[in-house]
Amino acid sequence: MLRLTWRQFRTQAAVAFGAVAAVAVVLAITGPRVVNFYDALVAPCAVHADCGVATSAFLNKYHFLQGALNAVVLVLPALIGIFWGAPLVARELEAGTYRLAWTQTVTRWRWLGVKVGVLGLSSLALAGVFSLMVTWWSSPFDRVNANRFTPAMFGERGITPVGYAALAFALGLSAGVVIRRTLPAMAATLAAFIGARLAATYWVRPNLSAPLRAVSGFQLDSGTGGLPHSGDWVISSQTINAAGKVIGDNGGIGPSGNVGFDVGRDGAITFQGVGLCPNKVPASAVGNPSPSSVQAAFQECAHKLGIREILHYQPAGRYWALQWYETAIFVGLALMLVGFSFWWIRGRRRPGLPG
Amino acid sequence: MIRLTWRQFRVQAAVVFGGLAVVAVLLAVTGPHLVHLYDSTVATCQAHGDCSTVTNAFLANDSTLRTWLNILLIVIPGLIGIFWGAPLVAREIETGTYRLAWTQSVTRTRWLAVKLGAIGLATMAVAGLLSLMVTWWSSPLDRAHVDPFGTFDQRDIVVIGYAAFAFALGVTAGLLIRRTVPAMATTLVGFAAVRVAFTFWVRPHLMTPVTHTLALDPANMGYGSSNGGPATLQPNPPDIPNAWVYSTQIVDKAGHALTPSFLASTCPQLSVPGPAGGGPSLRGASHLPVPSGAQQVLQDCVTKVGATFHEAVVYQPGSRYWAFQGYELAIYLGAALILGGVCFWWLRRRIT
Repeated sequence: MLRLTWRQFRTQAAVAFGAVAAVAVVLAITGPRVVNFYDALVAPCAVHADCGVATSAFLNKYHFLQGALNAVVLVLPALIGIFWGAPLVARELEAGTYRLAWTQTVTRWRWLGVKVGVLGLSSLALAGVFSLMVTWWSSPFDRVNANRFTPAMFGERGITPVGYAALAFALGLSAGVVIRRTLPAMAATLAAFIGARLAATYWVRPNLSAPLRAVSGFQLDSGTGGLPHSGDWVISSQTINAAGKVIGDNGGIGPSGNVGFDVGRDGAITFQGVGLCPNKVPASAVGNPSPSSVQAAFQECAHKLGIREILHYQPAGRYWALQWYETAIFVGLALMLVGFSFWWIRGRRRPGLPG
Repeated sequence: MIRLTWRQFRVQAAVVFGGLAVVAVLLAVTGPHLVHLYDSTVATCQAHGDCSTVTNAFLANDSTLRTWLNILLIVIPGLIGIFWGAPLVAREIETGTYRLAWTQSVTRTRWLAVKLGAIGLATMAVAGLLSLMVTWWSSPLDRAHVDPFGTFDQRDIVVIGYAAFAFALGVTAGLLIRRTVPAMATTLVGFAAVRVAFTFWVRPHLMTPVTHTLALDPANMGYGSSNGGPATLQPNPPDIPNAWVYSTQIVDKAGHALTPSFLASTCPQLSVPGPAGGGPSLRGASHLPVPSGAQQVLQDCVTKVGATFHEAVVYQPGSRYWAFQGYELAIYLGAALILGGVCFWWLRRRIT
């Protein structure tokens, strides 16, 4: 049975693992250079106090390769589900070869068990190895970006691609078993997998573990008030007034995160969207405003009006816990779908399937 | 024959056009709001004189939806090629139904012609409609972005060319490989490779770029080294609306780039690195403000260098957008027609 499975699978396996080997060579050649660039450009930038320019120059390195690798990690699980999962049983059913395969000494369960075991584990290995390589290669870029939690990045690094590959493969398997035709099963796998990924990214992931909540005084230059730390995942940032009413999002007033002040001739300040400030711009700055004194007056106004910010966030330290949670959910769903597939081909007599 | 094609195709057509209808409803609901926002904020920002803040705030609207629509437009042609093109002939050959289909009164050339024609046109219709809807929906956002070449392959008519090409590639792969799933995989890899290669290596050479020369401007000049190289003058790219800027360089009349040694001999004071002397030692894509202490030194230097050197901006003007769209559409449609011809030839000569 193992031999049969291998004979049927070897071309696909050779193509996939050959491609991974080719990518591995490219990454092994360019990876050390990325580290060198990082050491030469970004590591010493703190000394020159000019990190913005240095990091943007660094992030332009291998721009094409960065984009291509991220795209491949993103679509690889779906491809596994479509091309390995969906045809696995559907093709046998469609082509009628199941009649021969299922009437040998090997039971139907064992047949499916060996197939799912070999192809499923190969899927996990493929996604895992690829994600590992890309995670290693991109780690200098990711350190600069400090955006490991963005919806895309979280699913393209670490162990989550393994969970996605497991679910995609299981979706393909069960779609093939139920629909019994290759092409519709492939299309259904794609649609279901995209649906699962979107739902997990936008609705499940933010709630995997209760976000932390922090209230702080309103800062004009948000982000320097200590929170969020670099690498934290900000889920929501709301501005409230002294009465506790929400008056803005994204660290500003109103939905778009803008902050605006109007300064009158007499130095009176109007905080746009809030009202008149109790303090004034110092007389010396009226007419000849120096940015720092005006800035300080704005900041004092926000403080006196009692404007505060409420932050909901996941601290950077939870990254791996969230990775494990999400992977576990996807693998758990995959196991349920595999169990369902076994039950479906064994459990009932179905027209077209031998009993 | 048309009736048979329709019977075999109607489920797939219903799924795809149903999906299009869902997208259309979504865009019709959210689109007018975007237009209204644009008219009430960005269009009037000139009067307030604060366009960058207003524009950035406007661009934050529906940014997730915009991203997903862009992704949709990139993948839809490929998906059509995989799911409509590759199985078209491969499935008939694989399941043996071609024996029945090709021994009727309809010749096999006609059989293929009707299939290719009907489904090929449906392919182009899907891509065209989707592109039209998304182009309309995102037009306020695109206008605020002022970067039409950044979304070049997700808007307007080129998407039709991609879809036609992907479909023809799928049919050809199916005819040559004669097995559905390998043909689908081949179509995916082939289409992705062609799109990437064309975008990076063919599109920039479709038209000779324009070189715009201007005198060196001290106010628009930074000093530093890029990518660990020697320190030199770094011009800030000029603001050419809607243009596709290839490069911004400092060159002399013969077209030679400014060398660090020339710079060092012309402006010896500049070559002191670090915050105390010349300025920042590294440079990215953006303009570097020069510390005020070094401002005068830099200004003198730019004036001296400007006697022999000028700034050369190589770019494609925004007015060429539609010419680029037309060329790229024509090339992809031409490739699709050639692949269609290969299909007919192969079907008559090579398949028994």
